[in-house]
Amino acid sequence: MISVCFGLNAQQTDTLSAASVSTYKVLPVVKPSEQVAFLPRQVRPSSQVSELLRRFTGVQVKDYGGVGGLKTINVRSLGSEHVGVFLDGIQVDNAQNMQVDLGRFSADGLSAVALYNAQKTQRLQTAKEYAAGAAVHLSLENPLLIWGESAGRVRLRAGSFGTVNPSLQWDHRLGGVMMRVGAEFLASNGKYKYDYFGTPLTRENGDITSGRLDVRLSGTILGGKWSLMLYGYGSERGFPGPVIRRSPEYPFSAERQADRDIFAQGGWTKDWNDFYSTALRFKYSNNYIHYNAHPEKNPMALPYNLHYLQQSAYVSVAQSLGITDFWSVDLSTDFQFNTLDSDVGQFVKPRRAAFTGALATLLTWSKFRAEAHIAYAGAWDWFLQHSAGGWSREDTFRDEWMPSLSLFFAPARWLEIDAFAKRTYRLPTFNDLYYSLVGNSALVPESAAQLGVDIRMSDRAGALDWEARLSPYFNHVDDKIVAIPTASQFRWTMLNIGKVDITGLDVKFKAGRDLGFADRRADMTLRYTFQSALDHSTPGSLTWGNQIPYIPLHSGGVNLSLQWERLTFSWDTTVTGERWSRTANTDDYRIAPWSLSDASIARRFLLEGLVNGSSRGFMPELSLGVNFNNIFNQSYQVVQGYPMPGFNVMLSAEFYW
Amino acid sequence: MLLLCGVLFLGACQKINYREEPSKDEELTGVKVDVSAFSGAARKLFVLNEGQMGSNNASLDFLRFPFGLYISDAFAKMNPSVGAGLGDVGNDIALIGDELWIAVNNSGIVEVISPYDEIEVAAISVPSPRFIATDGKYAYVTSWAGAYMDYSTFEGSNPKGQVYKIDLKTKKVEGSVEVGYQPEGIAYYNGKLYVANSGGLASMLPPTYSYDDTVSIIDVASFKVTSTVQVQINLKNLYSDGKGNIYVTTLGNYGDVHSGLYTFNVSNPTSVSLISNYVSVPAVYGDTVYCIGTETEFDWSAAHEYNLWGAKDGKKALGIPLDLSGITPYSFFVLEQNTFFIGDAGDYVNPGTLNCFHGGNKLWSVQSGVCPGHFVVY
Repeated sequence: MISVCFGLNAQQTDTLSAASVSTYKVLPVVKPSEQVAFLPRQVRPSSQVSELLRRFTGVQVKDYGGVGGLKTINVRSLGSEHVGVFLDGIQVDNAQNMQVDLGRFSADGLSAVALYNAQKTQRLQTAKEYAAGAAVHLSLENPLLIWGESAGRVRLRAGSFGTVNPSLQWDHRLGGVMMRVGAEFLASNGKYKYDYFGTPLTRENGDITSGRLDVRLSGTILGGKWSLMLYGYGSERGFPGPVIRRSPEYPFSAERQADRDIFAQGGWTKDWNDFYSTALRFKYSNNYIHYNAHPEKNPMALPYNLHYLQQSAYVSVAQSLGITDFWSVDLSTDFQFNTLDSDVGQFVKPRRAAFTGALATLLTWSKFRAEAHIAYAGAWDWFLQHSAGGWSREDTFRDEWMPSLSLFFAPARWLEIDAFAKRTYRLPTFNDLYYSLVGNSALVPESAAQLGVDIRMSDRAGALDWEARLSPYFNHVDDKIVAIPTASQFRWTMLNIGKVDITGLDVKFKAGRDLGFADRRADMTLRYTFQSALDHSTPGSLTWGNQIPYIPLHSGGVNLSLQWERLTFSWDTTVTGERWSRTANTDDYRIAPWSLSDASIARRFLLEGLVNGSSRGFMPELSLGVNFNNIFNQSYQVVQGYPMPGFNVMLSAEFYW
Repeated sequence: MLLLCGVLFLGACQKINYREEPSKDEELTGVKVDVSAFSGAARKLFVLNEGQMGSNNASLDFLRFPFGLYISDAFAKMNPSVGAGLGDVGNDIALIGDELWIAVNNSGIVEVISPYDEIEVAAISVPSPRFIATDGKYAYVTSWAGAYMDYSTFEGSNPKGQVYKIDLKTKKVEGSVEVGYQPEGIAYYNGKLYVANSGGLASMLPPTYSYDDTVSIIDVASFKVTSTVQVQINLKNLYSDGKGNIYVTTLGNYGDVHSGLYTFNVSNPTSVSLISNYVSVPAVYGDTVYCIGTETEFDWSAAHEYNLWGAKDGKKALGIPLDLSGITPYSFFVLEQNTFFIGDAGDYVNPGTLNCFHGGNKLWSVQSGVCPGHFVVY
């Protein structure tokens, strides 16, 4: 909903803050396909990033329901493994399954959430940014300090499902170093009513308790800018399980998971002169999971009580050379090392060393711009334990070249056209290769070829402004990695047998009107996505030519928002057309269309009386808000077997000082 | 499918009393298939589709012989009051007397229906039921979960499975006995139950990280395990030939231990012999165990060439030419000499196919539910 009202702000994040203003440094070749940007102190419509992404065109968020349920993103039917999620330019990755749970990311502390289908054209990107099929960029908000020594915010959010979500943010200046400390706690019982084959039941074992603590530091050293982020997250949650027939004598699920994510990431960027710049970035992450099916509480559970530890070390060096004021060349080189350990039986302890490199060039004039790059990814996979369970794994090296071309043309002031062609690959995950599987060392990376055009029009006439975007595209996924069970349901193998052809169209129209004053404004957004994502794996098979699972042919929505001085109101309706939970598009697996409507109201109160002598950039302020979700109490499922909550309310109060 | 084994033998000596009044399921429509080549002894061939775990899409199809109609999802159609359908993962189906018993694994239910009109008779709670056998008085159901009820036995160790005993008349669980890890196939012969233990989960879990390799022998009168026979790791299907020979298949370990068919005689259970390796899907008919297998079973990089052979009186008896090109057998049923049904699960998440072979040739194939896995004839 925010995407509407803050279009102005969006443009700020397109540009770079580099001191010199060469064309190549400030003009993007492609703009984000979708973006939500927040003004300082703006009330976030939801605490979860997944809730923002859900309203982007071309995007499906797979949601298993509830506050603690897994939420992953799929862009233009490519599959979530092809979507890179980048936090402050550094990838949030998961070598085990390449699924990034967006429900764990708080919109707190972010200044923007942007989706790029074509290559983001910023200088000094990491090589992994070039290697992603589509990219979600989460931009961190800078500390809200202009003149003062410190500032902060406390927020309390509470509401349905016994949800309590307090958070604290504190900005402080330590000499030349800016510091932001964030802390957040979340507890929710996850209980909500759902329809169990005609009988109303309450979802059980969906509770979650989580905590987050992070510290960000930034400053200047040796003539360059540095930043460092230390992040810790822990949660303990239940998995309610799919809705299936179950004897009333046994519970649906007693599965619990406790996890802990720790990472440290940072970087140093320096413009050595007007032509040459470098960026050095690094990350270390350590993720621990304890999964317990609790068979002593549920006789239907399998007796799993397992621990996983995943670690990753990552270094990136990016260099940018401005050859003329319209032509630049970038070279990025990344190296990463991943490990996965577990007490699962016959666990081979996979290790991966991966190199990613990208050579990019950028030509930028005001009306015509071009970006081309070639990325290379090579990964060595090996095992600390080669032979386990009677079969041995081969060390394997896999590599691929990934070319891309993006063009921009602005034939008129009101018209911009950009086009891109891109081929990317996703490596097999550790799960694909080694975990509880009969290994297949012949597995090759899954490829995604994308061809897309964005046509953007915009104009302003007096108090009225509008913009429209029309984005047709064609994607082809080949060598799709598909799991096939062997004779035992516990032993699967992976094969490169899938092919998918995707033809799609994203349409977006926004219009806004100033209502007399700058702080009175009404906006409307209409969005529509068409996706024909057809299985072309096996000619003559039952599924040939059918729509792949969970992709609606038609989806869209409408968003209305009104700002009246310090009061904002917004309404959002999302409509998802019919889908199928599997490629056999039969009635048994049809998921009926559904629509979801949410509304929010927020009011800011400037507390002028609290201003003391010290002059600071911002005045103390209180914001009160309420969100009404699923207003019409629709009963729906995003993923078959996982019912979503009905009508629910979330209240929030924020105090800034 | 082994259930058949245990049951078929009874079936052979039992005379089925078909009810003659019109069945309520006669209005069900289906796909016409050619059954003119078969003898007319049977009314229906039931096909239990396992479904995909967690998707609640187990289903029951049947082929109605007099009309040559293949009818899908009969349980849900005939039992609309059971809103949830058959349930999650249909693991076994057995004809016991004039009832069909179906183990619905991840629902924790043994569903009893009438084979006459597919209408529910009873739904019995059994945790994680796997396979069914009977001695004519009780049904015996292997279960992966029995021991989990006792917390004290779980801490630090992987619990063993159970065999549940259910009264055929009252449909009440009358007790259970502990067997090996993750028991699968079960058959009754001459006062004893023979149970194949797999250890399919135990192989991945502490403390042993190893498969089970035993057959548990239960004395029915005392309902106690009287002896345990070591066979091979990861046992799956178990059949009695009604003449004192027990046959048991192993899935192997997907690496250096191949699948195979083993046998022993009840008079000397410790003397186990390997009949042949490479058993992907077995079936029993009369006193013969039929197997379809491939030597390249653990190599998934290329298509397999499958062979059909039989075993009788404890020995490999015959190779049968059958053109299985284009089919990946997931399940197997022998209707009569030279008439075979082979289920193909396709990609395992979408509906599969049922292929009918007669006289060495494929007659037809029809779309089944997801993972057509188990058969019984009525």
